[in-house]
Amino acid sequence: MCAFFIRGTCVSINFNMLISYNWLKWYIPEAPRAEKLVNIFNYHICEVENVEHRVLNNTEDWIFDLKILPNRAHDLLSHHGVAHELASLLNIKFIDPKYKVPESKPTKLKIEIVTQKDRRHVGRIIRNIKVSPSPEWVVRRLESISQRSINNIVDATNLVMFDSGQPTHAFDLDKIEGSRLNIKDAKNGQKITLLTGEEKELDGTMIIISDEKGHPLDTGIKGGKYAEIKASTTGIIIEADNFDPVFARKTGQALNILTDARKRFENDLSQELAPYAIQELSALIYEMCPDAIFEDVVDTYPQKQKVRKLSFSADRISKILGMVVSEKEIENILKRYNYKFSARGGPASGWEITIPPLRLDLVIEEDMAEEIGRILGYDKIKGKVPQINFRPKPNEVYLKILWARNKLLDEGYSEVMNTTFCDKGEISVLASASDKKFLRTNLTDGLKESLKLNQANAPLLGLDEVKIFEIGTVFKKSGEEMHVAYNEENKIIEKNLNEFGK
Amino acid sequence: MTTEKKKGTIHPLSLLAQEAYQVFSEMGFEIATGPELESEWYNFDVLNVPKDHPARDMQDTFWIKDAARMQKNFVALPASGLRHEQNFSASSSLVLRTHTTSVTARSIEQAGKEGRLPCAFVSIGKVFRNEATDATHEMQFYQIDGAMVGENISVADMKGVLTHFYKKMLGNDVKIEFRPSFFPFTEPSLEVFAKFEGKWIEMGGSGMLHPNVLLNLGLDPKKVQGFAFGHGFDRIAMVKWGISDVRLFYQGDLRLNQF
Repeated sequence: MCAFFIRGTCVSINFNMLISYNWLKWYIPEAPRAEKLVNIFNYHICEVENVEHRVLNNTEDWIFDLKILPNRAHDLLSHHGVAHELASLLNIKFIDPKYKVPESKPTKLKIEIVTQKDRRHVGRIIRNIKVSPSPEWVVRRLESISQRSINNIVDATNLVMFDSGQPTHAFDLDKIEGSRLNIKDAKNGQKITLLTGEEKELDGTMIIISDEKGHPLDTGIKGGKYAEIKASTTGIIIEADNFDPVFARKTGQALNILTDARKRFENDLSQELAPYAIQELSALIYEMCPDAIFEDVVDTYPQKQKVRKLSFSADRISKILGMVVSEKEIENILKRYNYKFSARGGPASGWEITIPPLRLDLVIEEDMAEEIGRILGYDKIKGKVPQINFRPKPNEVYLKILWARNKLLDEGYSEVMNTTFCDKGEISVLASASDKKFLRTNLTDGLKESLKLNQANAPLLGLDEVKIFEIGTVFKKSGEEMHVAYNEENKIIEKNLNEFGK
Repeated sequence: MTTEKKKGTIHPLSLLAQEAYQVFSEMGFEIATGPELESEWYNFDVLNVPKDHPARDMQDTFWIKDAARMQKNFVALPASGLRHEQNFSASSSLVLRTHTTSVTARSIEQAGKEGRLPCAFVSIGKVFRNEATDATHEMQFYQIDGAMVGENISVADMKGVLTHFYKKMLGNDVKIEFRPSFFPFTEPSLEVFAKFEGKWIEMGGSGMLHPNVLLNLGLDPKKVQGFAFGHGFDRIAMVKWGISDVRLFYQGDLRLNQF
């Protein structure tokens, strides 16, 4: 949701995630009916923007378009995350998938990270694969969330991202020279052709993944054309990185790349997610290519995620929410959410919890107040209008506005409001979605237009004479002023609010 | 009476603002006003909006050209001795305020300095967003923003105040609900919905002021806490009177003055 108060949506921030009901059921077979889930999402997790009932190949499904809250974009831009949240919230069974781990052989693959922007890289070589169309269940699963099937390998990487939240990628091993991948800051002017065929020029704020010969393989948030998976590919390197979120956002903006991978990286992922994703991806590829030969996983982890703890008490939570929450209720929630916690006794001293790695949003006691509040449901809190010992003072500016408005209304003037933006003035904005880049220096120009408009409409309005006024802010180099303007026939009189009526 | 016949008509947003201020005054709130051209400090930094947050992008916010040279003419410096005077002076960027939460922040800071705690403020004012306009989006619109800070001010108090406000604005039949949300300046954060004539409508955000915000305003989050909210004011008028296009408010057209 938008960073600002008011308005649900914001043009540049989109946290929407399509979630398939059937996919969720894979993890939580006891999930309530889809219709019932809508309110569970709305009241406890996030807004459901849309829900669509679909029938594909005689199979019913419901697709939820969820507006994931920005503080949960670390863990809920994934089916695994949403299912896990629902299981804890509803206290129902969560089936942790037991991936078939293929046996692996020693590897020569080496990964060298010489940039701060990649905090972890997990990769492995897989040989003897066969690129082919995906099995039907994979195609169906991707199509259910409006993703196109490409081939089994590419589909597997996509499926893992929408399932675990961790973007993954696969390179064609045959194109890679040497056994080492280098991940480092890009050089100014360095070029890469992306999978889409577009050529992009990089700079020092970005990174480049390349092989020993310097072939550009990946920008981090979008793969390159050079080692693209082809029908003829027989060996691959699969990888999952954990990138610095600011790097991901800035590179995405500069290169105009808006991928699902960027969206996840720029919202900051837990470093603990990468090995999980590689395990899932390996199992999927093993299922699709039973003859594949897996080499050992190479885990390069220069910036370890710290184990964080958080203390909070039932007293403090109750004080913030304005509702008594018992220790028992809180412990019940902690258990359902699988928190490791130590009770220190008494409602005032509370608990110390170990924060699960994926819950990067939990930092302070107030975050737990939100957790407890939303899990119990804010409808449980009984509203009351408080009486406080505060003596409001009259607001001088508002009193002047009121006085001026009433005086003009009494004299038969009607009030209008015109736009602050115009095409000439002393102060301008740096960029605008409209061609009017200046702030008005007077109310007169707008009021003249308004006068013409209303004079034309006078018969419709039942007026013999149009008398209008506006009270509003104008902007000059010398500062911001509140003005009053009104008309005397076709002449406009404009005064500073402080001078009006003197 | 002839004088009554001659009286002019008021703009619907002014009429609604007068009513809203009345409701909040009765609940003990003080009316607050502040600059429309605001410092980056009060519009973003004070409110715990991260430096690299997308909301600060040019696509969303109107930044002022050549702001450094003019800043002193526009934005009143905080009263001297305030905790963040230095930070404030270091930031020289100006924006058209994207919310009146900046006014709320200034008021709470001042009240804290004057020892006027607990306190409660409400402000209705013009705010600006850099976006293409359509029936539900304008580059300028009005926001109603408020806060209450004290030793024990809670989510329950916020629910009480906002529910009372909407019942006064939209009638006793209106239903108000609070659902999970996120804003950098509140924790917990809640979205306020109103059910009016059978339809749920998103009114705006609310929550408990984030401890970082209280610290930035010179208050001790261990001693005081409070709620804040910011709602689309045009939207309340549109819902109440069935006005379908937000742009009508700012076209200087008297056909709108019929309420």
